[in-house]
Amino acid sequence: MDKKIVIKGMNKFYGRKQVLFDIDLTIGQGMFGLLGRNGAGKTTLMKTIAALQPKKSGEITVCGVPVKEAAKIRSMTGYLPQDFSMYPNMRTDEALDYLGALSGIPAAERKKRVGSLLKKVNLYNDRSKKIKQLSGGMKRRLGIAQALLHDPEVLIVDEPTAGLDPEERIRFRNLLCETAEERIVILSTHIVGDVESTCENIAIMDEGRILWHGTVSELIENARGHIYTANIEKRYMAQIKKEYIVTGMVSQAEYTTVTIVSDSEPDLPNAVLTEPDIEGAYMYCLRSNGCDMKGGDE
Amino acid sequence: MLFRHECKKILRSAAFIVYCILSLLFFFTNYFSDCTGKEDVGRDGLVAVEDHDLIMEGALNSLMEDYNSNKYICYPYGYYKAVRLKGSKRDKIREYLKEITGTDEKGFEELLDKGEAYYEGYSAEAQYGYHDIPVKENFSYDRFREIMGDVDDMLGGGSVYRPDNLMYSFSLVPMSEEQIQAEQDGFYKEDRITRGLARLFCDYTGIILAILPVFVAAWLTAADKKRRMEELVYTRKTSSVKLVFTRYAALLCTMFVPVFAEMVVALLEALSVYKGESMDMLAFFKLPTVWLLPNLMFTTALGVLLTEIFSSAFAILTQTVVWFYSVMIGFGQLAGRIGRFTLVCRHNTPMERNVFLESRNNFIFSRIFWTVVSLLIMLLAAVVYNAERGGRFNGIRLFGKDSIFRRKA
Repeated sequence: MDKKIVIKGMNKFYGRKQVLFDIDLTIGQGMFGLLGRNGAGKTTLMKTIAALQPKKSGEITVCGVPVKEAAKIRSMTGYLPQDFSMYPNMRTDEALDYLGALSGIPAAERKKRVGSLLKKVNLYNDRSKKIKQLSGGMKRRLGIAQALLHDPEVLIVDEPTAGLDPEERIRFRNLLCETAEERIVILSTHIVGDVESTCENIAIMDEGRILWHGTVSELIENARGHIYTANIEKRYMAQIKKEYIVTGMVSQAEYTTVTIVSDSEPDLPNAVLTEPDIEGAYMYCLRSNGCDMKGGDE
Repeated sequence: MLFRHECKKILRSAAFIVYCILSLLFFFTNYFSDCTGKEDVGRDGLVAVEDHDLIMEGALNSLMEDYNSNKYICYPYGYYKAVRLKGSKRDKIREYLKEITGTDEKGFEELLDKGEAYYEGYSAEAQYGYHDIPVKENFSYDRFREIMGDVDDMLGGGSVYRPDNLMYSFSLVPMSEEQIQAEQDGFYKEDRITRGLARLFCDYTGIILAILPVFVAAWLTAADKKRRMEELVYTRKTSSVKLVFTRYAALLCTMFVPVFAEMVVALLEALSVYKGESMDMLAFFKLPTVWLLPNLMFTTALGVLLTEIFSSAFAILTQTVVWFYSVMIGFGQLAGRIGRFTLVCRHNTPMERNVFLESRNNFIFSRIFWTVVSLLIMLLAAVVYNAERGGRFNGIRLFGKDSIFRRKA
């Protein structure tokens, strides 16, 4: 079977408001990162791929199956929503068993799969705990387990690391990478670090449009020659933030070392070109596509 | 198994626990307390007879009294209401009374003076009762019914003068020895005690099964959304029809559990009270299932559908209106006379077997009708669920910031 998701000329509206514009994207096996700011349209795109929302026009096929065949799409897709939540009084293993029953998995097989998945996500010893007793990280791991219950060919995870502590985030990313060995995994996030450490291929979205797609190294390469560092006296920081996109600041005794995105060499003393990292490359991508970069400190 | 999981979810819910408590409370305070002793078959009983003279005389005297005090007690939709008439309506009643009594203005005034004074409660104001005012000779009963219908309309309905109700209001006579014997035979021999008691059990339980289940149905239907896990469920392989009907079956089975427990208690109570008598041991399980299941099915189905489309609050509100109308529409006629589309069938006595049997065809029709309606509602609920699942329908919000009224504005 053709293990890829193909999206061609897809448009989507909420009522009269268009929210996705002419999306063209091909997603192959392995980890794929969908990067964008909050409200960029990532969740809408993911829900449309998961047959949770209809498209207005264009085509989406998941491993050769058109997305309008919702029943087939559901049987081959695992989905972890942004706000993963379950009945708080259910036990962990019971919750998985319930979702397995909803997936039509026979009881005997369900029992085996629930046990093995709980081991895989390191929750086996907590299987008798109620959902409300689990920490945020444990819940996300349970979320991955439920999405993998029916052994789907496609796994869609929406903002899975938001709110996790660094240790849980690393553990979660490793878990995702393990699951991506045999399937397509789409990771939607606004946290650039998640993508850098897990995904080879990425797409950047903003205001319902795909701004860029390719590999992480291509994204970084794109930004080469546009990322600078400079030592700035602290009193000028406010002005610098107004004039440039600042992606990093290291505060020292009398001055601050800033990393900035700029199309041309900035008019700053000591400004030197630097090797771009993914955050800088991402910000450069947004800027070069004319995105509104205001906000943050205002 | 999905069904088992859904049942467990319901059994653990607060809505279900409250449902059980209210159901049992209603059972013990009504049926159970009514049946702690043997039925005194027919001894204190009155029977309604189609005696036109009795009806006309009783209704005339009652109307005279009401006219004189200008206070008409009505129960529109079951609510007590004291109606006072003014102007042309009051004059019209006076004209009707003159027509029925065959008197002119002077003669009617003389009749009014024949009232016997009495005092109601602690009231210092005298009321005047009428007992012997005669109806004009050879007055047509058809015309009388016509007048009574008009009077009832003027009063806003629900009065003792409603033509359908006349016989039950004004023509009750004590049972004859033969009738008492027939009632006894009906209760002990033909109904074998428990069939009659089961009808009384159904009468009470049917009332609450037409309202309480909507709370549990609305809770279960809204549970996924409330827990923000609808997307987890939507993306599963299970078809919408299977899921919706499995949940429906789970709701019906779990909500029948307290009813079943009540049936067992009712049977044990009957065995204790009628020790040594021949009884139909299965009557408490057969009749209530046929009688009550359609109530439960309809209330649950409507709760599910309206919660899906609107909200749980709207479902509860709507069902309350339906329930109120269904229960109160038969107010004042608590035995038999079941219509073909009656949701809440009433028969508030273990006796009057024949009265119930007269309505048997309507009873069977109504049970089948509400069962079919319930299943059709659930099919529609499955279609709506499937549309919500695919994002093609997101419900209709009547209140809040997403209200359809606000959107239009």
